[in-house]
Amino acid sequence: MAVGPPDDDDTDIEREIEEEETARGKNDIEFYGGRAMSAFPIAFFIAWAIVQSGLLRIGDTTGLVAGMLIGLILGLLFVKGSWKTYANTIFEGMTQRVAATAIVAWLWAGMFADTIQAGGFVSGLVWAADTAQVGATLFPAITFILAGLLATGIGTGYGTTVAFTGLFFPAGVLLGANPVLLFGAILSGAVFGDNLAPVSDTTIVSAVTQDSDIGGVVASRFKYAIVAAVVAFAAYVVAGNVMEGIEITGDAAQILVEESEPAGLLHLVSMSVVIATAVAGRHIVEAISWGIITAVIFNVVFGLAPVSDMLLFQAPEDAPIAEQVEFLPFVEIVESGEEIVSGSIYSGAQGFFPLIVLTLLIVAGAQIMIRGGGFEALQNWLLDNVATSVRRAETTMVGGTALVNGMITINTAAEIAIAPYIARIGERFNINGYRRANILDANTSALGYIFPWSGGVLVGYAQITQLPGEFEWFTQDMVVNPADVFPFVFHGWLLVAVFLIAAITGFGREYVHDRESEEVARL
Amino acid sequence: MIEKYTRGWSFRSATPSFEPGQEISAFLTGVRGDDVVARVGDSTLVVDGATPDDVDRKARIKVTEFDDNDHDGRAELLELVGESAF
Repeated sequence: MAVGPPDDDDTDIEREIEEEETARGKNDIEFYGGRAMSAFPIAFFIAWAIVQSGLLRIGDTTGLVAGMLIGLILGLLFVKGSWKTYANTIFEGMTQRVAATAIVAWLWAGMFADTIQAGGFVSGLVWAADTAQVGATLFPAITFILAGLLATGIGTGYGTTVAFTGLFFPAGVLLGANPVLLFGAILSGAVFGDNLAPVSDTTIVSAVTQDSDIGGVVASRFKYAIVAAVVAFAAYVVAGNVMEGIEITGDAAQILVEESEPAGLLHLVSMSVVIATAVAGRHIVEAISWGIITAVIFNVVFGLAPVSDMLLFQAPEDAPIAEQVEFLPFVEIVESGEEIVSGSIYSGAQGFFPLIVLTLLIVAGAQIMIRGGGFEALQNWLLDNVATSVRRAETTMVGGTALVNGMITINTAAEIAIAPYIARIGERFNINGYRRANILDANTSALGYIFPWSGGVLVGYAQITQLPGEFEWFTQDMVVNPADVFPFVFHGWLLVAVFLIAAITGFGREYVHDRESEEVARL
Repeated sequence: MIEKYTRGWSFRSATPSFEPGQEISAFLTGVRGDDVVARVGDSTLVVDGATPDDVDRKARIKVTEFDDNDHDGRAELLELVGESAF
């Protein structure tokens, strides 16, 4: 029911639109303390993120949301004159296409990733490792490849790290592989997939912030990823022969056999469908939708997962139509108070909710910095003093991304914060959007899994610390200290090195006129 | 599709060359004196017909002259085709 006369509502809405348009047209929010103070919300957020994720080691994305909100509120206090323009600029930032595009792609990617996991993709990889019968010296190298494959399929390096440190890590240690090297190999696989997967959150952010299509970005970054991966694989083979493991009596195969299911490998097809359709130039929503449809059909037809693992309504007995629809495979009657919707479609989308809110707020903070002049001031300082040639510009982009990701351990948040600078510095030298996206994502993915305070390392470490409780033979001294593993994340280091060399030598460099991105139409 | 994977396996110059008559897309990157320029790598094209308000916008331009030794040239603005990503 309408509360007031329709005309009043219309007037309110029109006024809000007018005010927002005014904010869009205006280029000035004045701050006490000058243009630099427009950076306050973002600077406060970065400081918050360093303290929360780096110093307190709390990897909670919703915690970062609180930090960004407080930053936006405190920033308001430094505004000269009316606060209205500042408030409207928050809306202006949030409604930018870059945020909306990333959000849509994340929701689809989340559903896909959880659905192929529900269908036992990990179990298929476990079967492959078990069947290959690799020994202790080759085990880290093979683990790197299989972890890279999983991460490329599901797009989440964190998820890959959890799955592999729970299964492959104890199996490899029991087989006689060096634990530190093995953990490094898992993290390297996570970096590979986070960097290359079209359904990876960092891949999506890198493409949409640099006005490039996701499929084109994936294809164009293959050359850097594969060069680093080949060298990393060789390094794991050599190190596997040199670094000794721990002697333990037990059957490594037993750990793998329990979780082994060859049919899970069918999801290599689901994964290929997404990659092929995206690279062929289809819209990312279309590409991932095809992947989801393929995965759901495979799960049901080949018995990889019941419908209820993908979508399940758990309704109370006294619900009006509960009993009539209970025969459906996605409906279950539960006791009152336990009603819930669940399944991979639900959890996959839900998993991105905190990141979605955070992204909207960071983009709003960045817009305030743009309107307040702080963005331009920092950009001009960089262009005048640091990025004075195309080589120095690209080196600055590599170093800047690495630095921000070294400080903010939740790498997607770090990537969103640095993305506007990568775009603007790159555009000032007409560096192609694909190249900018590749520099941005490679260094984001790599640094997220290297340092002892990185989110990816901590996720794996948390999982490893639980192993002494799960296996009698797994003692506390087999737990890998996060500080020991960073030299052994070979693929991460090599990816950064490849981009530094590429920036200096021009390997893979493309200018805007060399190749038109398929851009907005096929994001 | 394979071509998308195989492109860019090469070392690209920091100072790209252009031919007179060549039409390209480029961001207008700054102002030099009274001229608007498009910097492509470390090569520079003065873009006739563009105004300082057009800086950071993407344009179609037609190269009119280019000196390979100085990596400097001129072009004329054909049309503005896009905005900066941010």
